[in-house]
Amino acid sequence: MGSLLAVGEGMRTLGLLLSLLVTGTQAATDQKAVVPEGTVIAVAAVTGFDIDRLSPGLREDIRNLAGTPLAQARLDALAERIEAERPRYVAAVRAVMDPDGQARVFFVVGRQEVPERDDNINARYIVEQADIRGVPDEELSQALRDDLDAMVGQRLDSGAADRLQQRIEQELPRYDVSRRMQRGSQVGRIKLVYEARKKELPQWLRFDSLRTNALFHSEQGWGSFLDLGIGNRTIRFTPMVAIDNADDLVEEYSGVGLRFETRQLGTRRLGASFEWSWFDQDWRPATLSALALTPDIPPAYDTRSTITPLLKFAVTPELSVAAGVSISELEPLIPATSSQMANAAVASVDFDRSWKDGSEPTHRVTASFGVRAGSRDLESDLAYTRYLGQGAYRFDAGRHHVEATGMAGGITGHAPLFERFTLGDSRTLRGWDKYDIAPAGADRVVHSSVEYRYTGIGLFLDVGSVWDAETERHVRVSTGVGFYAGPAFFVVGFPVNTDELRAIFTMGLRIPGVRIQW
Amino acid sequence: MALLALLVWPAERSSAQALTVDVVGEVLRIHAPGFSFLKGDPLTRLRDGRSVRVELAALVLPGPGKPAAAAARRVFALSYDLWEERFAVTVLDARSQSVSHLALAAVEAWCVEQLVVPLSAIGALGRDAPFWIRLEYNVLDGDAGSGSPDPGYTLQGLIDLLSRRRKTDSSSHALEAGPFRTPARGPASKR
Repeated sequence: MGSLLAVGEGMRTLGLLLSLLVTGTQAATDQKAVVPEGTVIAVAAVTGFDIDRLSPGLREDIRNLAGTPLAQARLDALAERIEAERPRYVAAVRAVMDPDGQARVFFVVGRQEVPERDDNINARYIVEQADIRGVPDEELSQALRDDLDAMVGQRLDSGAADRLQQRIEQELPRYDVSRRMQRGSQVGRIKLVYEARKKELPQWLRFDSLRTNALFHSEQGWGSFLDLGIGNRTIRFTPMVAIDNADDLVEEYSGVGLRFETRQLGTRRLGASFEWSWFDQDWRPATLSALALTPDIPPAYDTRSTITPLLKFAVTPELSVAAGVSISELEPLIPATSSQMANAAVASVDFDRSWKDGSEPTHRVTASFGVRAGSRDLESDLAYTRYLGQGAYRFDAGRHHVEATGMAGGITGHAPLFERFTLGDSRTLRGWDKYDIAPAGADRVVHSSVEYRYTGIGLFLDVGSVWDAETERHVRVSTGVGFYAGPAFFVVGFPVNTDELRAIFTMGLRIPGVRIQW
Repeated sequence: MALLALLVWPAERSSAQALTVDVVGEVLRIHAPGFSFLKGDPLTRLRDGRSVRVELAALVLPGPGKPAAAAARRVFALSYDLWEERFAVTVLDARSQSVSHLALAAVEAWCVEQLVVPLSAIGALGRDAPFWIRLEYNVLDGDAGSGSPDPGYTLQGLIDLLSRRRKTDSSSHALEAGPFRTPARGPASKR
């Protein structure tokens, strides 16, 4: 078993190992004096090592220390488990007393300068050849070649092979590097092969979000929107089908559409999209009644056909702008009347940034501001301007998820019904029905929501108002609970500031994107 | 609703793989000859001459799907001898127990047999109380890069999700069987 059984050599650790062990011993001694056994642990963390590289069971055991009484034996056992899982590292425990009388526990992990043992059975074989494939010779530094050559004639050292791989990755950041070994030309000899494959540069522009869903709203019934992204990293075709979808507009619409997008027009800063759609509308009686009472609002229509060509420009990987036009033809509900055009210049600014704190918590901020201006200059029968700003912040830390969203918008002029704002669907003012709040939509909207989820259970609070400029504004609040399992969800919402107790539930599937890639 | 029901369908519908237990001294040993955890990407890594670390856990449950009353967890470093075409394994703990020259099924079986649960821990369930055993594994190493940053699903991913299939290189897999009763000594009984 050669080096596999080299347990006797296991104690020959140098440098950091010795210092850490000394620190650990000292820590244990200090701790007895400073942090008494039984002190409640406020937090336990691993430093000097990415905790995600430990096994899930060990990670959980370390995290579960929080809230428990300090027991030195238990901490030592966990440090031993870290070392067992990561034989090339040593771990020491350090406990610190907080001013509030609780303890903070740190597992200080450091790499040994000399590998203790090699668990790979092939460590007994001699490396007869070490190569990097997939990289032109001129891109390899002499130092790297020298290090490769230095491995030849030696027994395989997995730690050294790992470190060399890290060096290759650092020297060749535009490549993905993997490693494999093969039999050599003679028994007992092996070849070490690093394979480099050129990375694809990340795209700066994002495709439009896919939003396949099948939803049931207890007041609004079933509806579905299906879209399928077909393409590669640069271009995408997205056929769309809507069936009785009433979740995002005043109208309930069914129909089809197709969107083409490219994220690179010569440069990854420039992209374009072209969308065509045709939808047939159904109108709720409440909407038609409201329209009859409010002649200022443009009339309902029977079908809506739209084409939207857009140019997009990425200022940075996080920030992009888009501009173009949206040409819509609205066929009237009443036969023998002429169709209306709702043609608008559209422009938007989008921001999307994600980042990570340490090994686990992740943050994502998205924001957008869009303007749509219907103009006689574009042969539009309806002149209007619509503004909408939206923002969202999401925080994920293990099983804990927090999402806060907000939006505000306004319309001036005579905007078609598909541009009017609504609240009271599966995402906004859950617990209210939009056909009770504003059956024909409105020209002002403000909404914010905060939701906390622990694994698959969420609690939310929605606050919002949707109103017409000349009418009184009424702020509505709802709260409730949601259950989530993969793309499936079930949400029960309750209106808060109302004199009747009722619940509205929504359920279904919400899939952020179904793609076919070529 | 049918889709929802499909989503919550248990991941381990098939328990055709045999799992038996016996008592050796004061510990319970587990045997699961059909329990395979070296397949897919981890097996490819091994055959490329690299080592793979796997965490195995045996959980003693008072009933199917219930929280564990006792557990044994161990981490193994496995490798594949390029010349002898046999597997070797080391238990990553203070004793560093090792074995080599094993075929694939044999090395998997050996790892499972290293999971021993003290009878005293099972005794907490109550004398003669039936118990279930859940075997889990987790492949700790993976060369899967950063992956696509795009959210969403590919069609295959969606099919996998709805059928509860998971990627073999990064997720836990389990086998659960029972009920068992603590045998006096020797081969164990599954009622």
